[in-house]
Amino acid sequence: MIPALALLVGVVLGLLLQPTVPAALQPYLPIAVVAALDAVFGAVRAQLDGIFDEKVFVVSFVSNVVVAALIVFLGDQLGVGGQLSTGVVVVLGIRIFSNAAAIRRHLFNA
Amino acid sequence: MTGVSRSPVSDQPSSAEVPPRRLDGSMSLLVDVMTNTLDEAYAARAAQKRGTGGGSSAPAPRGARPGRLPGVLVLVLLGLLTGTAVAHVRDRAQAAEGLRSDLAEEVRGRSAETDRLEAAAAALRSEVAATRDIALEADAAGSRVGERLRALELASATVPVRGPGVVLTIADAEQDPTLGTDVRLRGGSPLDGRVLDRDLQVVVNGLWAAGAEAVTINGVRLSSRAAIRSAGEAVLVDFRPLSPPYRLEAIGRPASLEVDFVDSQAGRFLESLSSFSGITWTLDRSERLTMPAATEPQLRAARPEEPS
Repeated sequence: MIPALALLVGVVLGLLLQPTVPAALQPYLPIAVVAALDAVFGAVRAQLDGIFDEKVFVVSFVSNVVVAALIVFLGDQLGVGGQLSTGVVVVLGIRIFSNAAAIRRHLFNA
Repeated sequence: MTGVSRSPVSDQPSSAEVPPRRLDGSMSLLVDVMTNTLDEAYAARAAQKRGTGGGSSAPAPRGARPGRLPGVLVLVLLGLLTGTAVAHVRDRAQAAEGLRSDLAEEVRGRSAETDRLEAAAAALRSEVAATRDIALEADAAGSRVGERLRALELASATVPVRGPGVVLTIADAEQDPTLGTDVRLRGGSPLDGRVLDRDLQVVVNGLWAAGAEAVTINGVRLSSRAAIRSAGEAVLVDFRPLSPPYRLEAIGRPASLEVDFVDSQAGRFLESLSSFSGITWTLDRSERLTMPAATEPQLRAARPEEPS
Protein backbone atom coordinates (compact mmCIF):
# COMPACT_ATOMS: atom_id res chain seq x y z
CA MET A 1 0.00 0.00 0.00
CA ILE A 2 2.62 2.48 1.10
CA PRO A 3 4.88 1.66 -1.89
CA ALA A 4 2.01 2.13 -4.30
CA LEU A 5 1.15 5.45 -2.68
CA ALA A 6 4.78 6.52 -2.82
CA LEU A 7 4.85 5.69 -6.52
CA LEU A 8 1.67 7.64 -7.15
CA VAL A 9 2.93 10.66 -5.21
CA GLY A 10 6.11 10.59 -7.28
CA VAL A 11 4.24 10.45 -10.59
CA VAL A 12 1.95 13.30 -9.59
CA LEU A 13 4.91 15.36 -8.41
CA GLY A 14 6.75 14.74 -11.65
CA LEU A 15 3.75 15.67 -13.78
CA LEU A 16 2.90 18.76 -11.76
CA LEU A 17 6.33 20.18 -11.05
CA GLN A 18 7.90 19.11 -14.35
CA PRO A 19 11.41 19.47 -13.00
CA THR A 20 13.78 20.78 -15.60
CA VAL A 21 16.06 18.01 -16.73
CA PRO A 22 19.35 19.09 -18.26
CA ALA A 23 19.07 18.68 -22.01
CA ALA A 24 22.07 16.35 -22.02
CA LEU A 25 20.29 13.93 -19.68
CA GLN A 26 16.91 13.96 -21.38
CA PRO A 27 17.52 11.07 -23.79
CA TYR A 28 18.40 8.78 -20.86
CA LEU A 29 15.28 9.49 -18.84
CA PRO A 30 13.00 6.89 -20.50
CA ILE A 31 15.73 4.24 -20.32
CA ALA A 32 16.28 5.05 -16.66
CA VAL A 33 12.56 4.63 -16.02
CA VAL A 34 12.54 1.21 -17.69
CA ALA A 35 15.60 0.13 -15.70
CA ALA A 36 13.98 1.34 -12.50
CA LEU A 37 10.79 -0.54 -13.33
CA ASP A 38 12.87 -3.69 -13.70
CA ALA A 39 14.28 -3.18 -10.20
CA VAL A 40 10.78 -2.59 -8.80
CA PHE A 41 9.35 -5.72 -10.40
CA GLY A 42 12.30 -7.68 -9.09
CA ALA A 43 11.64 -6.29 -5.62
CA VAL A 44 7.97 -7.21 -5.72
CA ARG A 45 8.84 -10.71 -6.78
CA ALA A 46 11.46 -10.99 -4.06
CA GLN A 47 8.90 -9.79 -1.56
CA LEU A 48 6.53 -12.55 -2.66
CA ASP A 49 9.36 -15.07 -2.61
CA GLY A 50 10.00 -13.98 0.94
CA ILE A 51 13.54 -12.86 0.36
CA PHE A 52 13.01 -9.14 -0.07
CA ASP A 53 15.71 -6.94 1.29
CA GLU A 54 15.56 -3.19 1.47
CA LYS A 55 19.24 -2.62 0.92
CA VAL A 56 19.39 -4.90 -2.10
CA PHE A 57 16.38 -3.12 -3.56
CA VAL A 58 17.78 0.37 -3.17
CA VAL A 59 21.20 -0.62 -4.43
CA SER A 60 19.81 -2.55 -7.42
CA PHE A 61 17.47 0.31 -8.26
CA VAL A 62 20.16 2.95 -8.29
CA SER A 63 22.71 0.79 -10.06
CA ASN A 64 20.15 -0.31 -12.65
CA VAL A 65 19.28 3.28 -13.48
CA VAL A 66 22.89 4.41 -13.59
CA VAL A 67 24.13 1.43 -15.61
CA ALA A 68 21.28 1.65 -18.13
CA ALA A 69 21.89 5.36 -18.63
CA LEU A 70 25.62 4.77 -18.90
CA ILE A 71 25.21 2.04 -21.50
CA VAL A 72 23.03 4.29 -23.62
CA PHE A 73 25.37 7.21 -23.10
CA LEU A 74 28.30 5.11 -24.22
CA GLY A 75 26.27 3.95 -27.20
CA ASP A 76 25.52 7.56 -28.10
CA GLN A 77 29.22 8.37 -28.02
CA LEU A 78 29.94 5.40 -30.25
CA GLY A 79 27.10 6.20 -32.62
CA VAL A 80 25.02 3.15 -31.76
CA GLY A 81 22.87 4.80 -29.11
CA GLY A 82 19.59 3.88 -30.77
CA GLN A 83 20.51 0.21 -31.13
CA LEU A 84 21.89 0.00 -27.61
CA SER A 85 18.79 1.54 -26.09
CA THR A 86 16.74 -0.97 -28.06
CA GLY A 87 18.92 -3.72 -26.61
CA VAL A 88 18.54 -2.38 -23.08
CA VAL A 89 14.79 -2.09 -23.47
CA VAL A 90 14.54 -5.63 -24.87
CA VAL A 91 16.58 -7.22 -22.08
CA LEU A 92 14.88 -5.24 -19.33
CA GLY A 93 11.51 -5.85 -20.96
CA ILE A 94 12.10 -9.61 -20.93
CA ARG A 95 13.10 -9.45 -17.28
CA ILE A 96 10.08 -7.35 -16.39
CA PHE A 97 7.81 -9.80 -18.18
CA SER A 98 9.30 -12.87 -16.51
CA ASN A 99 9.16 -11.22 -13.11
CA ALA A 100 5.59 -10.17 -13.75
CA ALA A 101 4.82 -13.78 -14.68
CA ALA A 102 6.41 -14.99 -11.43
CA ILE A 103 4.40 -12.43 -9.49
CA ARG A 104 1.27 -13.57 -11.25
CA ARG A 105 1.99 -17.19 -10.35
CA HIS A 106 2.43 -16.16 -6.73
CA LEU A 107 -0.74 -14.14 -6.54
CA PHE A 108 -3.13 -16.23 -8.58
CA ASN A 109 -1.40 -19.64 -8.49
CA ALA A 110 -1.82 -19.70 -12.22
CA MET B 1 8.13 -22.80 -7.45
CA THR B 2 10.49 -20.30 -8.91
CA GLY B 3 14.18 -20.62 -8.55
CA VAL B 4 16.04 -17.53 -7.59
CA SER B 5 19.58 -18.77 -7.62
CA ARG B 6 21.75 -19.59 -10.60
CA SER B 7 20.33 -23.09 -10.84
CA PRO B 8 17.72 -23.28 -13.56
CA VAL B 9 14.06 -23.15 -12.75
CA SER B 10 12.00 -26.31 -12.85
CA ASP B 11 9.46 -24.98 -15.28
CA GLN B 12 12.06 -24.02 -17.81
CA PRO B 13 13.20 -26.33 -20.61
CA SER B 14 15.14 -29.16 -19.09
CA SER B 15 17.98 -28.71 -21.53
CA ALA B 16 19.33 -26.05 -19.26
CA GLU B 17 19.61 -28.63 -16.50
CA VAL B 18 21.59 -31.46 -18.04
CA PRO B 19 25.17 -31.02 -16.96
CA PRO B 20 27.06 -33.00 -19.62
CA ARG B 21 26.25 -30.93 -22.64
CA ARG B 22 23.66 -28.25 -23.01
CA LEU B 23 21.90 -28.39 -26.31
CA ASP B 24 21.57 -24.65 -26.26
CA GLY B 25 25.10 -24.06 -25.13
CA SER B 26 25.64 -21.32 -27.62
CA MET B 27 22.53 -19.52 -26.44
CA SER B 28 23.37 -19.46 -22.76
CA LEU B 29 23.11 -15.69 -22.72
CA LEU B 30 19.52 -15.76 -23.92
CA VAL B 31 18.59 -18.60 -21.57
CA ASP B 32 20.17 -16.68 -18.76
CA VAL B 33 18.18 -13.61 -19.60
CA MET B 34 15.00 -15.63 -19.72
CA THR B 35 15.46 -17.77 -16.59
CA ASN B 36 17.54 -15.71 -14.29
CA THR B 37 15.39 -12.68 -13.91
CA LEU B 38 15.65 -12.00 -10.21
CA ASP B 39 18.60 -10.13 -8.85
CA GLU B 40 20.86 -12.74 -7.27
CA ALA B 41 21.66 -10.34 -4.48
CA TYR B 42 18.27 -11.06 -2.96
CA ALA B 43 19.02 -14.77 -2.67
CA ALA B 44 22.54 -14.15 -1.47
CA ARG B 45 21.35 -11.72 1.16
CA ALA B 46 18.61 -14.09 2.29
CA ALA B 47 21.08 -16.93 2.61
CA GLN B 48 23.44 -14.68 4.52
CA LYS B 49 20.70 -13.66 6.92
CA ARG B 50 19.59 -17.22 7.40
CA GLY B 51 23.16 -18.11 8.22
CA THR B 52 23.97 -15.30 10.63
CA GLY B 53 20.73 -13.97 12.03
CA GLY B 54 18.76 -17.05 12.92
CA GLY B 55 16.59 -15.20 15.43
CA SER B 56 14.39 -13.26 13.05
CA SER B 57 14.56 -15.57 10.09
CA ALA B 58 10.87 -15.17 9.35
CA PRO B 59 10.26 -14.90 5.60
CA ALA B 60 9.32 -11.55 4.20
CA PRO B 61 9.66 -9.29 7.18
CA ARG B 62 7.19 -6.54 6.57
CA GLY B 63 6.31 -3.14 7.87
CA ALA B 64 8.02 -2.81 11.17
CA ARG B 65 11.56 -2.91 9.89
CA PRO B 66 13.57 0.26 10.26
CA GLY B 67 14.94 0.09 6.72
CA ARG B 68 11.57 0.89 5.25
CA LEU B 69 12.21 4.53 4.44
CA PRO B 70 14.85 4.17 1.70
CA GLY B 71 12.56 1.88 -0.28
CA VAL B 72 9.73 4.36 -0.12
CA LEU B 73 12.05 7.17 -1.11
CA VAL B 74 13.29 5.14 -4.03
CA LEU B 75 9.73 4.52 -5.15
CA VAL B 76 8.95 8.23 -4.95
CA LEU B 77 12.06 8.78 -7.03
CA LEU B 78 10.85 6.25 -9.61
CA GLY B 79 7.49 8.00 -9.76
CA LEU B 80 9.25 11.31 -10.19
CA LEU B 81 11.40 9.92 -12.98
CA THR B 82 8.37 8.47 -14.74
CA GLY B 83 6.30 11.60 -14.38
CA THR B 84 9.13 13.80 -15.58
CA ALA B 85 9.84 11.57 -18.57
CA VAL B 86 6.16 11.54 -19.54
CA ALA B 87 5.90 15.29 -19.13
CA HIS B 88 8.97 15.82 -21.28
CA VAL B 89 7.78 13.56 -24.07
CA ARG B 90 4.45 15.36 -24.07
CA ASP B 91 6.14 18.73 -24.10
CA ARG B 92 8.20 17.78 -27.09
CA ALA B 93 5.17 16.44 -28.98
CA GLN B 94 3.27 19.61 -28.20
CA ALA B 95 6.13 21.80 -29.33
CA ALA B 96 6.33 19.94 -32.63
CA GLU B 97 2.58 20.18 -33.07
CA GLY B 98 2.66 23.89 -32.30
CA LEU B 99 5.43 24.46 -34.81
CA ARG B 100 3.52 22.61 -37.50
CA SER B 101 0.30 24.53 -36.93
CA ASP B 102 2.25 27.80 -36.84
CA LEU B 103 3.76 26.97 -40.22
CA ALA B 104 0.38 25.96 -41.65
CA GLU B 105 -1.08 29.21 -40.34
CA GLU B 106 1.69 31.20 -41.99
CA VAL B 107 1.23 29.37 -45.29
CA ARG B 108 -2.49 30.14 -45.22
CA GLY B 109 -1.83 33.77 -44.39
CA ARG B 110 0.72 34.15 -47.14
CA SER B 111 -1.45 32.56 -49.79
CA ALA B 112 -4.36 34.77 -48.78
CA GLU B 113 -2.06 37.76 -49.16
CA THR B 114 -0.91 36.50 -52.55
CA ASP B 115 -4.52 36.13 -53.69
CA ARG B 116 -5.29 39.66 -52.52
CA LEU B 117 -2.26 41.10 -54.31
CA GLU B 118 -3.09 39.19 -57.46
CA ALA B 119 -6.61 40.58 -57.39
CA ALA B 120 -5.25 44.09 -56.89
CA ALA B 121 -2.81 43.60 -59.77
CA ALA B 122 -5.60 42.38 -62.03
CA ALA B 123 -7.75 45.40 -61.16
CA LEU B 124 -4.87 47.75 -61.86
CA ARG B 125 -4.09 45.97 -65.11
CA SER B 126 -7.65 46.33 -66.36
CA GLU B 127 -7.57 49.98 -65.39
CA VAL B 128 -4.40 50.44 -67.40
CA ALA B 129 -5.98 48.61 -70.34
CA ALA B 130 -9.10 50.77 -70.19
CA THR B 131 -7.09 53.97 -70.08
CA ARG B 132 -4.89 52.74 -72.92
CA ASP B 133 -7.93 51.84 -75.01
CA ILE B 134 -9.37 55.32 -74.54
CA ALA B 135 -6.04 56.84 -75.57
CA LEU B 136 -5.78 54.59 -78.64
CA GLU B 137 -9.35 55.24 -79.81
CA ALA B 138 -8.36 58.82 -80.51
CA ASP B 139 -7.22 58.32 -84.10
CA ALA B 140 -7.31 55.71 -86.86
CA ALA B 141 -3.72 54.52 -86.46
CA GLY B 142 -4.29 54.16 -82.77
CA SER B 143 -7.40 52.06 -83.18
CA ARG B 144 -5.56 49.76 -85.60
CA VAL B 145 -2.86 49.26 -82.98
CA GLY B 146 -5.64 48.63 -80.44
CA GLU B 147 -7.15 45.90 -82.64
CA ARG B 148 -3.81 44.20 -83.01
CA LEU B 149 -3.13 44.54 -79.29
CA ARG B 150 -6.45 42.90 -78.40
CA ALA B 151 -5.72 39.97 -80.67
CA LEU B 152 -2.29 39.54 -79.13
CA GLU B 153 -3.72 39.79 -75.64
CA LEU B 154 -6.20 37.05 -76.39
CA ALA B 155 -3.48 34.84 -77.81
CA SER B 156 -1.12 35.43 -74.90
CA ALA B 157 -3.86 34.95 -72.30
CA THR B 158 -3.13 38.22 -70.56
CA VAL B 159 -6.74 39.33 -70.35
CA PRO B 160 -9.80 37.70 -68.80
CA VAL B 161 -12.17 36.33 -71.44
CA ARG B 162 -15.66 34.95 -71.63
CA GLY B 163 -17.69 33.19 -74.25
CA PRO B 164 -19.28 29.90 -75.25
CA GLY B 165 -17.30 26.72 -75.35
CA VAL B 166 -17.01 23.21 -73.98
CA VAL B 167 -16.31 21.78 -70.56
CA LEU B 168 -14.29 18.58 -70.36
CA THR B 169 -14.16 16.83 -67.01
CA ILE B 170 -11.59 14.09 -66.46
CA ALA B 171 -11.51 12.09 -63.24
CA ASP B 172 -9.25 9.39 -61.87
CA ALA B 173 -10.47 5.82 -62.01
CA GLU B 174 -12.43 4.87 -58.96
CA GLN B 175 -10.38 2.94 -56.47
CA ASP B 176 -11.92 -0.24 -55.17
CA PRO B 177 -12.54 0.69 -51.53
CA THR B 178 -12.39 -2.95 -50.41
CA LEU B 179 -8.77 -3.17 -51.42
CA GLY B 180 -7.52 -0.64 -48.93
CA THR B 181 -6.18 2.79 -49.57
CA ASP B 182 -2.56 2.21 -50.42
CA VAL B 183 -2.22 0.61 -53.83
CA ARG B 184 1.46 0.07 -53.20
CA LEU B 185 0.58 -2.54 -50.60
CA ARG B 186 -1.12 -4.60 -53.27
CA GLY B 187 1.84 -4.36 -55.59
CA GLY B 188 0.29 -1.75 -57.82
CA SER B 189 1.64 1.61 -58.78
CA PRO B 190 0.13 4.68 -57.17
CA LEU B 191 -0.25 6.05 -60.69
CA ASP B 192 -2.55 3.25 -61.82
CA GLY B 193 -5.85 4.70 -62.91
CA ARG B 194 -4.76 8.26 -62.27
CA VAL B 195 -4.75 11.14 -64.68
CA LEU B 196 -1.14 12.07 -65.33
CA ASP B 197 0.43 15.30 -66.48
CA ARG B 198 1.13 13.86 -69.92
CA ASP B 199 -2.52 12.84 -70.34
CA LEU B 200 -3.52 16.42 -69.65
CA GLN B 201 -0.87 17.67 -72.07
CA VAL B 202 -2.29 15.53 -74.86
CA VAL B 203 -5.85 16.59 -74.09
CA VAL B 204 -5.00 20.28 -73.90
CA ASN B 205 -3.14 20.09 -77.20
CA GLY B 206 -6.20 18.38 -78.65
CA LEU B 207 -8.39 21.22 -77.46
CA TRP B 208 -6.09 23.83 -79.00
CA ALA B 209 -6.04 21.85 -82.23
CA ALA B 210 -9.82 21.64 -82.23
CA GLY B 211 -9.99 25.41 -82.29
CA ALA B 212 -10.04 26.49 -78.65
CA GLU B 213 -9.17 30.14 -78.19
CA ALA B 214 -8.63 29.99 -74.45
CA VAL B 215 -8.26 27.04 -72.07
CA THR B 216 -8.34 26.69 -68.31
CA ILE B 217 -7.66 23.67 -66.11
CA ASN B 218 -9.41 23.86 -62.76
CA GLY B 219 -9.60 27.59 -63.18
CA VAL B 220 -5.93 28.09 -64.10
CA ARG B 221 -5.69 29.82 -67.46
CA LEU B 222 -3.20 28.34 -69.85
CA SER B 223 -0.95 30.70 -71.70
CA SER B 224 1.63 29.72 -74.26
CA ARG B 225 4.17 29.67 -71.47
CA ALA B 226 2.24 27.55 -68.96
CA ALA B 227 3.65 24.10 -68.31
CA ILE B 228 1.70 21.03 -67.30
CA ARG B 229 4.05 18.98 -65.20
CA SER B 230 3.97 16.68 -62.24
CA ALA B 231 5.80 16.75 -58.96
CA GLY B 232 5.49 13.56 -57.01
CA GLU B 233 1.92 12.46 -57.46
CA ALA B 234 0.51 15.96 -57.92
CA VAL B 235 -0.14 17.57 -61.26
CA LEU B 236 1.19 21.11 -61.53
CA VAL B 237 -0.28 23.53 -64.01
CA ASP B 238 1.69 26.73 -64.30
CA PHE B 239 3.41 25.65 -61.05
CA ARG B 240 0.15 25.46 -59.17
CA PRO B 241 -0.76 22.03 -57.81
CA LEU B 242 -4.17 20.77 -58.89
CA SER B 243 -6.18 17.86 -57.64
CA PRO B 244 -8.57 15.65 -59.58
CA PRO B 245 -11.15 15.74 -61.02
CA TYR B 246 -9.74 18.03 -63.69
CA ARG B 247 -12.19 20.44 -65.27
CA LEU B 248 -10.92 21.77 -68.56
CA GLU B 249 -12.80 24.66 -70.05
CA ALA B 250 -12.20 25.74 -73.60
CA ILE B 251 -13.69 28.77 -75.28
CA GLY B 252 -14.41 28.43 -78.97
CA ARG B 253 -17.30 27.47 -81.23
CA PRO B 254 -18.95 24.78 -79.10
CA ALA B 255 -20.22 22.59 -81.93
CA SER B 256 -16.98 22.37 -83.87
CA LEU B 257 -14.89 22.17 -80.71
CA GLU B 258 -16.86 19.18 -79.52
CA VAL B 259 -16.89 17.33 -82.80
CA ASP B 260 -13.29 18.08 -83.71
CA PHE B 261 -11.99 17.16 -80.29
CA VAL B 262 -13.78 13.82 -80.10
CA ASP B 263 -12.59 13.03 -83.61
CA SER B 264 -9.03 14.05 -82.96
CA GLN B 265 -6.14 11.92 -81.83
CA ALA B 266 -6.50 13.39 -78.34
CA GLY B 267 -10.12 12.32 -78.21
CA ARG B 268 -9.24 8.76 -79.21
CA PHE B 269 -6.41 8.78 -76.68
CA LEU B 270 -8.85 9.81 -73.95
CA GLU B 271 -11.24 7.09 -75.06
CA SER B 272 -8.55 4.43 -74.83
CA LEU B 273 -7.45 5.77 -71.42
CA SER B 274 -10.95 5.38 -70.14
CA SER B 275 -11.30 1.84 -71.44
CA PHE B 276 -7.90 0.64 -70.24
CA SER B 277 -7.44 2.50 -66.96
CA GLY B 278 -10.99 3.30 -65.95
CA ILE B 279 -10.45 7.06 -66.14
CA THR B 280 -13.80 8.76 -66.67
CA TRP B 281 -14.44 11.83 -68.76
CA THR B 282 -17.39 13.88 -69.93
CA LEU B 283 -17.60 16.59 -72.55
CA ASP B 284 -20.37 19.17 -72.39
CA ARG B 285 -21.16 22.35 -74.22
CA SER B 286 -21.49 25.52 -72.27
CA GLU B 287 -22.99 28.79 -73.45
CA ARG B 288 -21.10 30.98 -71.08
CA LEU B 289 -17.60 30.43 -69.74
CA THR B 290 -15.58 33.03 -67.88
CA MET B 291 -11.84 32.79 -67.59
CA PRO B 292 -9.33 34.85 -65.64
CA ALA B 293 -6.11 36.11 -67.14
CA ALA B 294 -3.07 33.91 -66.87
CA THR B 295 -0.41 34.86 -64.36
CA GLU B 296 1.19 38.23 -64.75
CA PRO B 297 3.21 38.30 -67.95
CA GLN B 298 6.85 39.03 -67.50
CA LEU B 299 8.89 41.19 -69.77
CA ARG B 300 11.32 38.86 -71.50
CA ALA B 301 12.61 40.84 -74.43
CA ALA B 302 12.83 44.56 -74.97
CA ARG B 303 14.41 46.74 -77.57
CA PRO B 304 15.44 50.35 -77.24
CA GLU B 305 13.50 52.75 -79.39
CA GLU B 306 15.23 53.61 -82.65
CA PRO B 307 16.49 57.16 -82.53
CA SER B 308 14.49 59.01 -85.14
